[in-house]
Amino acid sequence: MTPIPDNVEGAFLISIIDFVLSFVIISGIGVVLALLPLVNRYWAIDDNDLKGGH
Amino acid sequence: MLDQLLSLFDSLLKQTGLAHLYWGNIVMIAVGAIMVYLAVAKKCEPFLLIGIGFACIVVNIPGSDLALPGGLFDYAYKGVSLLIVPPLIFLGVGAITDFGPMIANPKLVLLGAGAHLGIFVALILAKVLGFSLSEAGAIGIIGGADGPMAIFVTMKLAPHLLSPISVAAYSYMALMPIIQPPIMRLLTTKAERNIQMAQLRKVSRLEKIIFPVIIAVIVNLFFPPVAPLVTMLMLGNLFREVLIVGRLADTAGGTLLNLVTIVLTVAIGSTMSAKTFLSVQTVEIVGLGLIAFVFGTASGVVTAKIMNLFLKTKINPLIGSAGIASVPIAARVSHIVANKENPRLYLIYHAMGPNLAGVFGTAISGGILLALLGVK
Repeated sequence: MTPIPDNVEGAFLISIIDFVLSFVIISGIGVVLALLPLVNRYWAIDDNDLKGGH
Repeated sequence: MLDQLLSLFDSLLKQTGLAHLYWGNIVMIAVGAIMVYLAVAKKCEPFLLIGIGFACIVVNIPGSDLALPGGLFDYAYKGVSLLIVPPLIFLGVGAITDFGPMIANPKLVLLGAGAHLGIFVALILAKVLGFSLSEAGAIGIIGGADGPMAIFVTMKLAPHLLSPISVAAYSYMALMPIIQPPIMRLLTTKAERNIQMAQLRKVSRLEKIIFPVIIAVIVNLFFPPVAPLVTMLMLGNLFREVLIVGRLADTAGGTLLNLVTIVLTVAIGSTMSAKTFLSVQTVEIVGLGLIAFVFGTASGVVTAKIMNLFLKTKINPLIGSAGIASVPIAARVSHIVANKENPRLYLIYHAMGPNLAGVFGTAISGGILLALLGVK
């Protein structure tokens, strides 16, 4: 991977890439979370079944 | 005879710490004392400041070899430098955290990214001031308002800056109730501050169990450098949510968390010796940390306002500042500012969503930073 230059331009570059990418990844996590309620259609867990401990 | 006695007393005096005390030690002892005072008298982050402050006092007494190689504080520091303590802190944090508010309203996770502009403002300014790119990255991560993540990234990028960075990060987290509200009020209108938010949906047990597994896989796949932290955070959360291993969840979130907090705070305090801490560099880092927090708060609020341009059901922009992480302080600040505006506004549960997303925002920003700088 081409190293990022250790100067102010490099700092701008790393900041822009990081800021934009983090939005992309977080949005992806948001999409996964939006789909999460679908699992409730196929399976349900009763808390009382788990609270008995082991 | 008298000469011999005087010579003997002189030798004895030279062996005491008193003979080697200089003004820098006295300043740092005072700094440590102020930290302990703030913790005890003002109840300002006592779990952190008592250990940090006391260790700072002791390490600045010449002759106390606690921080030297082989000393007790040195072993505590090894727990930090070998990156054992931060992941264990996250194990405990995961075990006491309910991610329900974040799962219930997924669009609010965007605030966890939006509120991290401060990281990059501080990074760029640090580079302008002459720090290397690695040092600037470590300084920037103060803006993520996440102590263990700041320590983790700093140890990877610029371990020699651990002391000022960790002190700045934890101090500003404690000062959030003072730093954030003026910025939040400046950037919002009265009408925006009074936006009522709808009640969040109930999140099922199944969702809460699947969540940590999915997040661990996604984040670790894309950002292996931060795998130790995210893995332990999600493991602790899984202990909590499955309910059947209550003992493990209680230990991780109770005794273990308390134990590693003691080790962490003592380790941080032990790095605050006058010779390393009192420098222009420390002042610059502390100043940049404040800039990071200010811009992070502002960008979180502005991100919420931008989202409102596209949303039918508006969000109260005051919860945007909670995306800066620092769970649950930032969420509490959002709630208090809103509640002061309108006593019928109860935003704490809504603000926890972006607040928790901010933890992942910091992990993702830190992970990308480490990847771009070629650090594993």
